[in-house]
Amino acid sequence: MKNLLAKDPINIIITGVGGQGNVLASRVLAGMLVAKGFYVTIGETFGMSQRGGSVMSHLRVSQKSVWSPQIPLGQADIIVALEPSEALRVMSRWGNPEVAVLSNSRVVYPIGVITGDYGYPDEERIKDIFEKLAAKSWMIDATSIAMEIGNPVLSNIVMIGALAKAALLPIDRRAFEKEINKRVAADKRGANLAAFDAGAKMV
Amino acid sequence: MTKRLSSQKLLKNNVLDTHLCTGCGACVSLCPYQAIYNDRTIQFHYCDLADGKCHAYCPRTPTDFDRLRELLFEAADLTPEIGALKAYYLTRAADPELRAVVQHGGTVTALLELALAEGLIDAALVSSDVEQYLHYGTVVYDKAALRKSAGVKFVVFPMAAAFNQFAQREKGRAGVVATPCQALALAKMKLNIDKDKEQKVNQLCLVIGLYCGWALSAEKFSALLAKKDIKKENIKRMDIPAGKNILELYTREGVKEIPLAEAQACVRDACNYCIDSTAEYADVSVGAARFTGTADEQRGWNQLVVRTRKGGDLVDMAVKRGVLEIKEAPAESLRQLKEAAMEKKKNALANIAHKSGSAKNLLYLDSRDEMLREILKTD
Amino acid sequence: MSKLLSSANKEVLFMGNEAIARGALEAGVNVAAAYPGTPSSEVIENLASVAKERNLYVEWSTNEKVAAEVAAAASFAGLRSMCVMKQNGVNVASDFLLHLTASGTRGGIVLVICEDPGALSSVNEGESRYFARMLEMPLLEPADFQEAKDLTKWAFELSEKIHNIVMLRSVTRMSHASGNVICGKLPNKIRQARFVYDGPLTDPLKGPVISTPVGVKHKLQQEKLKTARELFEKSLFNKYIGPKKPRLLIITSSACYLYAKEAVSMLGLQNRVGILKLGCTWPLPEKLLKKYLRLTNKIMIVEEVLPFMEENIKVLAASYPKEIGVKTFYGKIDGTFPSVGELNPDVVAEALAKIMKVKYKKLPVSYAQELRKVAEVIPSRDQTFCPGCPHRASFWNINAALKLDGRDGFVCGDIGCYAMASLTPAIGFYTVRTLHSMGSGTGLASGFAKLDMFGFDKPVLSVCGDSTFYHAVIPALINARHHQADITFVVLDNAGTAMTGFQPHPGLTVSATGENVPAVDIGKICAALGAKVAVSDPFDLEATTKKLGAFLEEKVNLKILILRQICALSPEKKGKKQYDVKVSDELCLGDECGCNRLCTRIFRCPALTWDKAKRKAVVDEVICAGCGFCSSICPQNAIVKAKARVL
Repeated sequence: MKNLLAKDPINIIITGVGGQGNVLASRVLAGMLVAKGFYVTIGETFGMSQRGGSVMSHLRVSQKSVWSPQIPLGQADIIVALEPSEALRVMSRWGNPEVAVLSNSRVVYPIGVITGDYGYPDEERIKDIFEKLAAKSWMIDATSIAMEIGNPVLSNIVMIGALAKAALLPIDRRAFEKEINKRVAADKRGANLAAFDAGAKMV
Repeated sequence: MTKRLSSQKLLKNNVLDTHLCTGCGACVSLCPYQAIYNDRTIQFHYCDLADGKCHAYCPRTPTDFDRLRELLFEAADLTPEIGALKAYYLTRAADPELRAVVQHGGTVTALLELALAEGLIDAALVSSDVEQYLHYGTVVYDKAALRKSAGVKFVVFPMAAAFNQFAQREKGRAGVVATPCQALALAKMKLNIDKDKEQKVNQLCLVIGLYCGWALSAEKFSALLAKKDIKKENIKRMDIPAGKNILELYTREGVKEIPLAEAQACVRDACNYCIDSTAEYADVSVGAARFTGTADEQRGWNQLVVRTRKGGDLVDMAVKRGVLEIKEAPAESLRQLKEAAMEKKKNALANIAHKSGSAKNLLYLDSRDEMLREILKTD
Repeated sequence: MSKLLSSANKEVLFMGNEAIARGALEAGVNVAAAYPGTPSSEVIENLASVAKERNLYVEWSTNEKVAAEVAAAASFAGLRSMCVMKQNGVNVASDFLLHLTASGTRGGIVLVICEDPGALSSVNEGESRYFARMLEMPLLEPADFQEAKDLTKWAFELSEKIHNIVMLRSVTRMSHASGNVICGKLPNKIRQARFVYDGPLTDPLKGPVISTPVGVKHKLQQEKLKTARELFEKSLFNKYIGPKKPRLLIITSSACYLYAKEAVSMLGLQNRVGILKLGCTWPLPEKLLKKYLRLTNKIMIVEEVLPFMEENIKVLAASYPKEIGVKTFYGKIDGTFPSVGELNPDVVAEALAKIMKVKYKKLPVSYAQELRKVAEVIPSRDQTFCPGCPHRASFWNINAALKLDGRDGFVCGDIGCYAMASLTPAIGFYTVRTLHSMGSGTGLASGFAKLDMFGFDKPVLSVCGDSTFYHAVIPALINARHHQADITFVVLDNAGTAMTGFQPHPGLTVSATGENVPAVDIGKICAALGAKVAVSDPFDLEATTKKLGAFLEEKVNLKILILRQICALSPEKKGKKQYDVKVSDELCLGDECGCNRLCTRIFRCPALTWDKAKRKAVVDEVICAGCGFCSSICPQNAIVKAKARVL
């Protein structure tokens, strides 16, 4: 089998807030990669403590074997964030000088920020951090794009579209179409494809 | 650095937890954090604001009494025993129909009726016993309603809360009937007008004070009534006839009597630390008359202390319009009043010193206060 | 067609729990029963989804003990069955399991335990492997997704061979992780249920199924364990990777195998460190262990929660000092690994680097410093109830009623999403003061209420969810009623087992497999107990607080308030707003109001946020679930709700 990956394994972290469709995004991405013959290991953190809390999926993509469902610290290759402070949270633990970051710019305030106990870094600050500490980064207003398409929950698919266009992984629109056809009802496929395409345009 | 305690926390530590709270409601209806239920002051959630109105208005937090007296009264009128004293009379309502439905002379109701009729106030805030849940006093706008709610009940009503609610809801001017602690709270609202952005306290146009020896804790008294199988909602008014050592309850099923000692066991803790029996911070103060004569004769009259010019004007007008009958009080009556007032002050100060553990620490009072020094001196 | 029924040899991505379900299908499982509990619930959900096609009986049982009993009945009748639970479920089932392992079983029966090291979605990190030792049953632990399937299938065969139940232990990082699995064959044979019971008492296969005579049955039970050990010696689920003469031997199992493997490769120690991965962890395959323990004197044991393997291996090593020599053990007992929390590749790599004296490659120093600075600006994302969650309203009401009551009353909490009210006291408005196992809140309340003779004078409330009610609360309620405990019990009825993903429970008219079933009504059960029962909508602040207040005041021994409101995430409610909620800019006084931001500082709904520029509250329409409750807490009535347009 010829070498299809930039390195092996490629470590991807998809992060967001409970309810943003984080798990679906990781399953769709993994499905596309498994269909291409890769070993994919996903480790997910969700459950009771995660309602409205941080949600994170670790994906390991390999041509050789299954890997640990937890990525070692400092070893993320790609971070896809559905919420900007969650991108920073993952960055601060799994970041390294080669990491690529794609982040939704739409903020979901943690409850501690709402109560006034903590501050929230402004968008410029977040962009600065990405520019300084990531090899590549994209900030995308995925939620607004998804709302234009009709449902804010599609922001996860907008981000997958952007990820595909960023050409960091061997995935494309055709693979997405096949995968989404397996997962969603026929009447929702159009919106998902529209979200994917809109995301791709942002990169 | 130690963090400054919030106003709410100060109230809890220094007033609620120490049982000094009078249940006046001054700290209530200003914000969603506090409420009155069954004459208890409730703190629903934690509030971290400092310098709040809740703390400033409370009659049991430290007060600048010098400034307060200066604001409300003329210096020449001040007495150490019963506060400002412009005039002292025995009075009663001229209207016999009114006298028939009220407790004593009907002076309070007569004055309020007049103030309403003359447009001096738009509404009168009087005690009422609606449901325990909304135990906030009643706003009345006319004579009929006023007469319906007349009657003394010796149970705490959060009149200051009633005023806060009224001012939030309406723009008109209010006359309030207040016990000494409530009158002090209302006076502190005037004193702290700088905290009152919308100057709502300017709607407070008249305070008629009531003499008060003590008030019953609603909770304890309810338990006593339950034991005696008396329905609280059936009580129309209460009285303590002189020399009989009983508390009379005028209920729909007739008059019931409770031994005074049993009733007094239900007195609110806070009353033991109160030095004011004549509502010193009101415009006029009214109480039951005590003079030589039969109990029934006494029952027909009130004592009236005029404290402010505004109070005096109202009384003069009432006499002029024939609403109020007035007679000079015997000198002995004033002497007795002062003596009784002094007695209460001394007892309360002793209780406060006992609570704080030091005669120098008078909790919400200041041992350096000029008027208090007068009292302490007489010991 | 469901992915779970993929044809043989197909490679699919399975979640650990899906792989377990597939393994059971490949073993020809007939009956599966469970009580929901993260991270175990997907096993039954998956089996339920193919129950019709595969002719299975699948149920969500009332609790774990009942689930074990339902599964055992199938085994007694010669069928293959499984019961599934999270770690603490084993405690509930253990009384039955003690007797089941003694009586023995017939058809293959597997007890699947999904544990939660680090308590990612639990209020404990209970360790259930000790139950395998204590109850004398074999224990298997899959180390990857393929094994999760294959070992499950083999567990049935083992059970049927030794005629006893077999425990299969997974962990969150296995159950809730996914990986490639190559499917095996699905059998076609359908078994018929036949329960034989007329043989002698001493014949466990033909006589009545019973744990007596104890001497006979206990001996038999131990012989079964010996047979299992013999099979374990040869099992391919135990394997060694590494050099012939390693400097250090890692013995590990479960997800820890993946961590250990990654740690060895991170440090480039493949030629110096060997890994013995055990799939069969109780009873330990002695001969196999003796063989590998002889390889080196440095033994590292990598496992999660308690040092179960470590203890057992040390006992084994102590039994054969002459054969295997003196060892140095690195594990939890000597502090090489933390005694609490879950492991990961980094923790293992760090420990390994220290012992092997190699450098653990980290990030460039300046970059790492920058990352630490980033960490400082990230606001922590604390737990809170979801937007539109009825529990927030319920605790708001409970707090109001307790404060009005004024006797410093408190709530005994229970297990469900509402447990968060005790884990993060601010979101329960500081009302909940105890939290233990399912149903314990009401048992504790019943006990507290009897302390009045010792001067205890606070009113006591307990809460529980609808699913928890059936699981374990009823005996406590009977106790409270019978012993005249003056408590107020609040049922937070949100119409489903919400926390674990809306599994049905006995209060609903639908079963795990979608059949219509009769609902068992909570209100009627409570009324039958002789309790005073009322129902309220937690979103109706005034009515609910009044009812609660009246209950607190009333001196009747058991008062029950059922607070009914469907979970905001339930399939029937999700995405459908009942109200459009807005903050009126004119009415909200913002920082100028005396409210000190009650709506945002205290109420803690993720959708109700503070606009720093306007210095006023604002509703985030993307996040708002449209419950409208917040409109009843604003003192200015500035939060305005309007009936949402039907989409």
